[in-house]
Amino acid sequence: VTELTCPFCGPRHLREFEFHKTLPAADAGAFARVYERVNRTDLSVEHWQHVGGCRGWLLVRRNPSSGVVLAIHLVGGGGAE
Amino acid sequence: MLAPRHDASTNEVQPACSRSSQRRHYLQRPGRTAVSGPTPRYSAWALLRARLAGDGYWRPLWTGRKLKEAYDVVVVGAGGHGLATAFHLARDHGLKRVAVLEKRLVGYGNVGRNTTIVRSNYLLPENHYFYEDSLRRWETLSRDLNYNVMYSPRGVVDLALSDGDMCALARRGNAMRLAGIDAELMELAALERFCPELAPRAARRFPIVGALVQQRGGTVRHDAVAWGYARAASALGVDVVEDCEVTGVRAAGGVATGVETTRGYVRAERIVFAAAGHTGMIGTMLGVPLPIETHQLQAMVSEPIKPVLHTVLVYVFPGHGETYISQSDRGGLVMGGHQDGFPSYTREGRWDRLEEVVEGAVELLPQIAGVKILRQWAGTTDMTMDASPIMDRLRYDNVFVNAGWCYGGFKTIPASGAAFASFVATGTAPDLIKAYRLSRFATGHLLDERGGGPFPVRL
Repeated sequence: VTELTCPFCGPRHLREFEFHKTLPAADAGAFARVYERVNRTDLSVEHWQHVGGCRGWLLVRRNPSSGVVLAIHLVGGGGAE
Repeated sequence: MLAPRHDASTNEVQPACSRSSQRRHYLQRPGRTAVSGPTPRYSAWALLRARLAGDGYWRPLWTGRKLKEAYDVVVVGAGGHGLATAFHLARDHGLKRVAVLEKRLVGYGNVGRNTTIVRSNYLLPENHYFYEDSLRRWETLSRDLNYNVMYSPRGVVDLALSDGDMCALARRGNAMRLAGIDAELMELAALERFCPELAPRAARRFPIVGALVQQRGGTVRHDAVAWGYARAASALGVDVVEDCEVTGVRAAGGVATGVETTRGYVRAERIVFAAAGHTGMIGTMLGVPLPIETHQLQAMVSEPIKPVLHTVLVYVFPGHGETYISQSDRGGLVMGGHQDGFPSYTREGRWDRLEEVVEGAVELLPQIAGVKILRQWAGTTDMTMDASPIMDRLRYDNVFVNAGWCYGGFKTIPASGAAFASFVATGTAPDLIKAYRLSRFATGHLLDERGGGPFPVRL
């Protein structure tokens, strides 16, 4: 991974973005949401922030084994897709 | 010593094959496979005997053992922690039937990918006692294993860039000294005397004002640790089996009975997972979500140059930058920094992190600016939510997990092996590792050494 495509700003260098956390399973309780991780090798669903750009919060789906970015959306919806 | 003899058979073109089978070919050179028996103890006397005995006296460090049907303990992962655990199970607890199963090669993972630094300069009591136990073991490890691991107490220097940094380092140093661990807080003048190559008064973006120095910290040759433990364990009868991936755990009546592997089913009384960055996958395999995320941590080494740095420098600079740098005995400058900062199993490092690490290194030692980077690589680290390890049972009473070593697994290998072997053999965790239980996340007894909250990375 050398760049991510921000739905608002377009493709930008990875260093503009900050990883925040991986998202738990949808039905997880408070403890699981904070501490437990899904650890799938084929899919990681994450929150990132475009701190060096629009500062938008991003929902990123990646394959952590190949490094391929599968999809990026603004968390609140919208953007220039 | 005997000159290596030319052997036509090694010149043959080998068919395309995996790395591991290439390595096996290398280990089993003609003239060596036929010899059996224990590996000779290294000594001056052995050198003399080898000279008289001729070719074939020295054996492979560990032999490619056949996988048996059943074991007392199966250790998954032939890295530093797995091999050390197996070694102590065999030596200290007299277990005869122990196997170490390795997906790839001995030392393929983080034990061969770290920056070789050992130290015990931790703040929290639970951590500094454990890491100090490890540092004491490093001091005698070459003798214990009968294998030179090249422990070099060259000092670890944590640099301070501000009064605030000095206060934080003084606090950590005082905590260490109260625990009987050596620590010296150095003002600028003392630091200049200890490390003249640093030239701390040079024009810099961020002025250095002092440092916390642990003189007994330093470096250990990482590959030698993997090889030394594998050899010592093998000599005690431990089966070190490479190219054998564990794919599942079988259980009956709430007790694990064995492991499924790519070489068939193996029965085991007890199972130990020491799989570093792949522990998260093991949690998934056993249906237990773990407070672990797998991140990449990269390192790099320069071309070998004449000695320019006699100690280990750790430099954390504003803007989330970090560089730690030492010079190997071969002359390469070994450097590392922060993790890449997001979950990944790729074993690749991000380019801008490499750039940042080199920036820091060149700022500390401007004279190395023209030196070329020879190699760069990454390891998969098992980051826990408080940056402290997990040594506990996992789902079943007879399944043990030794993981969560984050960016600090290498330095703890000797203590972890001894303590974890005791845990596995007796069923009771020694006091030294009681704080590393998995339930601490639920009960709130976190060991947040970094003070960063429940995140695996520094934000």
